[in-house]
Amino acid sequence: MCEVDEENSGCLQSRSVPGVCKMCVKCKENTAVLIIRVGDAFCRSCFKEYFVHKFRAMLGKNRVIFPGEKVLLTVSGGAASSSMLAQVQEGLGRDAPKKLRFIPAIIYIDEGGVCGQDPEEREETVAQLETIFRKTGFPYHIISLEQVFSLPSSVLEPVPGGARQPGGDYKAAVDQYIQQSKLKQKRGEASVEEAQDSLTHLNIYSPPSPEHTQTLQRLFSTLKTLTAKEDLLQTLRQHLILHTARTHGYSKVMMGDSCTRLAIKLLTNISLGRGASLAADTGFSDSRYGDVVVVRPMRDYSSKEITFYNRLFGVESVFTPSLDTKAPDKASIQRLTESFIIKLQADFPSTVSTIYRTSEKLHTASSPQNSSAEPSAKCLLCLCAADTKAEEASAFQATLLSERLSVGKAQSDPAHSNPASSNPASSNPAGSCCQEQGCGAGGCCSTSRIPAPTDLKTLLCYSCRLTIKDLITVEALPHYITSEAEKRQRRAQMKEEIGEFLLDEDEDAE
Amino acid sequence: IRVHCGRGVFRGGGSQTSCDSFEFHRGEPSWDMKQLLAWIRVNLLKERPELFVQGDTVRPGILVLINDADWELMGELEYQLQDQDNVVFISTLHGG
Amino acid sequence: MPVQCSSCGQNRAALKRPKTGHSLCRSCFFWAFEEEVHHTIVSGRLFSRGETVGIGASGGKDSTVLAHVLKVLNERYDYGLKLLLLSVDEGITGYRDDSLETVKRNQQQYDLPLKIVSYEELYGWTMDAIVKQVGLKNNCTFCGVFRRQALDRGAMMLNVDKICTGHNADDVAETVLMNVLRGDIARLRRCTAISTASDGEGAIPRCKPLKYAYEKEIVLYAYFKKLDYFSTECIYSPNAYRGHARTFLKDLEAVRPSAIMDVIHSGENLSVREGVKMPVQGTCSRCGYISSQALGLPKLGIGKHHRLHGKILAQQPLTQEEERKLKAVDF
Repeated sequence: MCEVDEENSGCLQSRSVPGVCKMCVKCKENTAVLIIRVGDAFCRSCFKEYFVHKFRAMLGKNRVIFPGEKVLLTVSGGAASSSMLAQVQEGLGRDAPKKLRFIPAIIYIDEGGVCGQDPEEREETVAQLETIFRKTGFPYHIISLEQVFSLPSSVLEPVPGGARQPGGDYKAAVDQYIQQSKLKQKRGEASVEEAQDSLTHLNIYSPPSPEHTQTLQRLFSTLKTLTAKEDLLQTLRQHLILHTARTHGYSKVMMGDSCTRLAIKLLTNISLGRGASLAADTGFSDSRYGDVVVVRPMRDYSSKEITFYNRLFGVESVFTPSLDTKAPDKASIQRLTESFIIKLQADFPSTVSTIYRTSEKLHTASSPQNSSAEPSAKCLLCLCAADTKAEEASAFQATLLSERLSVGKAQSDPAHSNPASSNPASSNPAGSCCQEQGCGAGGCCSTSRIPAPTDLKTLLCYSCRLTIKDLITVEALPHYITSEAEKRQRRAQMKEEIGEFLLDEDEDAE
Repeated sequence: IRVHCGRGVFRGGGSQTSCDSFEFHRGEPSWDMKQLLAWIRVNLLKERPELFVQGDTVRPGILVLINDADWELMGELEYQLQDQDNVVFISTLHGG
Repeated sequence: MPVQCSSCGQNRAALKRPKTGHSLCRSCFFWAFEEEVHHTIVSGRLFSRGETVGIGASGGKDSTVLAHVLKVLNERYDYGLKLLLLSVDEGITGYRDDSLETVKRNQQQYDLPLKIVSYEELYGWTMDAIVKQVGLKNNCTFCGVFRRQALDRGAMMLNVDKICTGHNADDVAETVLMNVLRGDIARLRRCTAISTASDGEGAIPRCKPLKYAYEKEIVLYAYFKKLDYFSTECIYSPNAYRGHARTFLKDLEAVRPSAIMDVIHSGENLSVREGVKMPVQGTCSRCGYISSQALGLPKLGIGKHHRLHGKILAQQPLTQEEERKLKAVDF
């Protein structure tokens, strides 16, 4: 074990010691405790310095979080988000150089209801987390996933992008903040941190009612695949966080995704057909919600670094089961991708960092537009820009065509059906069905108007369509989703009717 | 019951495994596909059985046809083999 | 328990379509498969009437199905195309010599002209000879670069307007995954394009009419139609990293069969941040062929293995002899 004094101030001075592989590459004095990248061995105190610096550098470089801004930290209890919480505490500490100057609060979403925890286990987990949260002195919100059933449909309404622009305004905001805090100090007012201590904890956890838990479990049991379950859980969780941020005036949300996690997420999302929103899903900041911006300050840390930091510096984390905790490798796309990357990383150590760098080179087609532009269509569920207006020559159109061609020829694309030459030029005499154009099989043209999962389709992006395709009945969805869907459909229908009316006027002059 | 299986060759990473076409006879109770695969694995594959079976099913990328129809239509592993069934395995691996 | 065809509702289904989950009988499947390729060709504006189209034919399942379907569609929809088969002989004993026999049979079966160009005749090197020099590492890089050029040169000899290749949906999706794993942003952006632009001098436009066709369906199409194809893997074992991508893709398909199309959809909708450096395609200063370097020697994947560079450059007498052949003016 390494017994280095943390306060060792001479560590940067001495450089004469030859770099033995067991020595720290930075101070060249102390025994290394871990190797971060290939060959870079760090001692305990240099590692801490490196780790802490990286967090502030990430925030400093991106200049997205303004001084005095209210920021919601999403903490799942896992290593990465717990480490993020510790970094924020560290950065807000009084004697921290380059102090962080935002106002933090914590949010924990309790997913135990769908992840196989019974009420006692959930309360126990929550109690453990509350102990950790209380020690920070930050206000915290503990919200059960069941609360999606009381979300308002306004969560899903598109909000135009915030007026704030990063860059130029940032400097002004910093100056303003410094002046204000100087004033406060002169007057002897309480500083931000002290004000926080007096804040009450905003949301004391109230266990969900068993009925709500049952409704939630029924919703998840109507999804046929684990892939879809995981995707929907992610979406609902995001809605709860967004709603909490809005109602309490947090304009930034911090997520604890590590580099490893983001590499897995990037490949998972490609496999789920989420290429269009890949940059928002895996980049440093995600402004798809308009007024609330998601940032990922842990994206430069590998899970190894995080694990070591937490272990060496006593950062507590709480294990919570997830949907796929006990699932086999091939149970879902998310699970499969995770085990694929972890195995590949073992054989090719640059896998994670290479994939991660790919995410930095991407950008979203739907970057926040100026307020003047009409907001583009957004997916009802994930709220990313819809990616289904694809041109004719695309995978999306090709799949739609395959669907049409597989349910009966009567519905085949009229633009391409050529009655004179519809028979396959095959030598196979066995098939007679193709000879008849209007093959009378039912089911191909009769779709009833009862709300079916297909009805939601037009409001969803490519990938959320796949998720909803695995849903047996939309009735199990929380009310805020179905009511916003109806609203959007009515609006679309109205638009269409007006269009028809205008067209009719042209055609028959009565 | 008598079941006929076509010859199959499965390759990957520069090596291969194969099973020649064969017929087998079985009395009651009849086998399902899962048992057939396990039997082929133990009795017919000379080397690298993982190029054919993974877990208790075929390796992804190998098509299984039962009487010239996709086994996905027949219940896959649960399919109960019938008399005179003809089972074919086709590898979708690159051929150029 | 036979499942009925979801299209005609009369016949027994012969396969479950991975793209949509529908079950089709043989003839409805043939019809749908061909219509889909037709749609890909029409919507992607791959060909124009009167063009001569060279089909890159390897004797494998993809190119055999491509040749068959193109011939069928050219007649059914009167594309007005002149089709011919174009094969490359890499000089791999026990592999290409056998598959070329299949191509020769296909030529008879489909009554299409066939042109075979060989590495030996173009470059003076067979793959067997190259592998002897460089070993099994990176040989696929040479082969890929050489084949690309060889197809072009063969096509030029025959005045071909467009080349089409048998790349299927699995191949395209696999390439998307590969480029993500390698962090190759330039290729990631290009690899889902259905056809390469014709702007580069000396390169003939290429397209992939089977881009949206699943490998599973191609294999079943060939099997049910009893097409004559050659099925084996190249004896020089394939790239290990690509093998990982393939295995992952097949596992994805097993979890969610539409995943292959989903990956392609992702690839088609990626956009690259402005200001990210993109390599510019140049022209080889020696032969005039497109190249990523000034002197168009094949750039190797992961550096270090510059032995063949050296070999080609060092053996001056041979290289000069080659140069005559390497010059585009020869055609």
